Amino acid sequence: MVEEKLTISPAFRIASIAILAAVTTVLTRIVQVPLPARGYINLGDVAIVFTAITLGPFSGALAGGLGTALADLLSGPYAFWAPISLVVHGLQGLLVGLIAGVKPNNVLLQCLGGLVGIAVMAGGYLAAGIFLEGTGPALTEVPGNLIQGAAGVLLGILVAAAVLRAYPPVRQWRW
Amino acid sequence: MIAELYRPGTSLLHRWDPRAKLLLLPMVLAAFFVPSDPWPLLALAAAVVALVIVELGPSQLVPPLKTLWPILALILVLTPPFHRTGPAVLGPAGLALVTADGLRFTAVLLLRFLGITLGFFAIVRTVSLDDMVLGLRWFRLPYSACLVVTITLRTIPTLAATWRNVTDAHRLRRDVSTGRPRLVQTYVPVLTSVLIESVKAIPLLAMALESRGFGRRNARTSYAGLKQGTSLLPDVLALAGAVLVLFWPLLLVR
Repeated sequence: MVEEKLTISPAFRIASIAILAAVTTVLTRIVQVPLPARGYINLGDVAIVFTAITLGPFSGALAGGLGTALADLLSGPYAFWAPISLVVHGLQGLLVGLIAGVKPNNVLLQCLGGLVGIAVMAGGYLAAGIFLEGTGPALTEVPGNLIQGAAGVLLGILVAAAVLRAYPPVRQWRW
Repeated sequence: MIAELYRPGTSLLHRWDPRAKLLLLPMVLAAFFVPSDPWPLLALAAAVVALVIVELGPSQLVPPLKTLWPILALILVLTPPFHRTGPAVLGPAGLALVTADGLRFTAVLLLRFLGITLGFFAIVRTVSLDDMVLGLRWFRLPYSACLVVTITLRTIPTLAATWRNVTDAHRLRRDVSTGRPRLVQTYVPVLTSVLIESVKAIPLLAMALESRGFGRRNARTSYAGLKQGTSLLPDVLALAGAVLVLFWPLLLVR
């Protein structure tokens, strides 16, 4: 197969970041999953966790940060959250990838990485929210962020395992 | 086609150089954090609202306000209880529920949030994303970073269509009589299909980039460029004026 002979060239890195950033934007902006109680969550965190587990921490950081920042930029009223999302989700992708990469295919480490990622994401948005909206409104966003993060980790780990099984060349694309 | 926020127009804001508007973004953010008093913030926020009304039209205020009102309501309701210093304004039997400092801080947060959001909205609404990337390139953002953003923007509509197609295909396979879709059963098959489709595109895109010379050391040429008028002077003067408007509260502080 052509893909198995590929080396991780600069063009390959550019392509992987761009495609997975686009996936992150689409899952953040377009896909809305209804919650059992009320409201919606998006699946942007799924793309970040998937990218970090399969393609490594740097892909996770760059694609996750850029994808969510573009989603904010394209949303209109939330455009000014773009730099915050770039940093918060970038850090989330980096940490998930670093922790999960210690021992690839270890689900416990992937869960641990995902939990650290959720903590960083929810903490980052809380800090930014306190700064921009005040303590009260920022605290109300924490449960939603935690639910969204948990769904992202759960689905991200499941989907990463499914994709690695269905399309094994991806195993060699980690950088 | 790119799903972006930009709406074409002929207003002064539209015609303003994208580089000046990019410089203005961090300035808007900074300007709304300088005053700690509601009155200068009210003047700044009113100026931003007036800018949106005059340059984009009154109807353009509706979409951002429609999205923002729940957050503004939360700020209004939840901020006073967290700031209990100062003389009591409202509270039963000597218990201060709302204080003067709490009200002042609530007004500051409301005006700051509204002003920053509408300021960013006005700028992002009048710069196409292509021009934004070209402007960032002018500010020496590396070529590879600009290329990533450009490819991402071009890929988003294709991937959105792929998501919809795969979702429709999986919906045909699912028993819809079971009621509410479940998170894992519903989304894992769709996500897996979409992600396999996406990652398969990576080596193809990499080969396309290499065949177009990406990674070579020789200087690159570009057909795309910012649309520039005969002189940048009006744009620079307008930027200086905007900086003066944004940071006039600093003069009051001194």
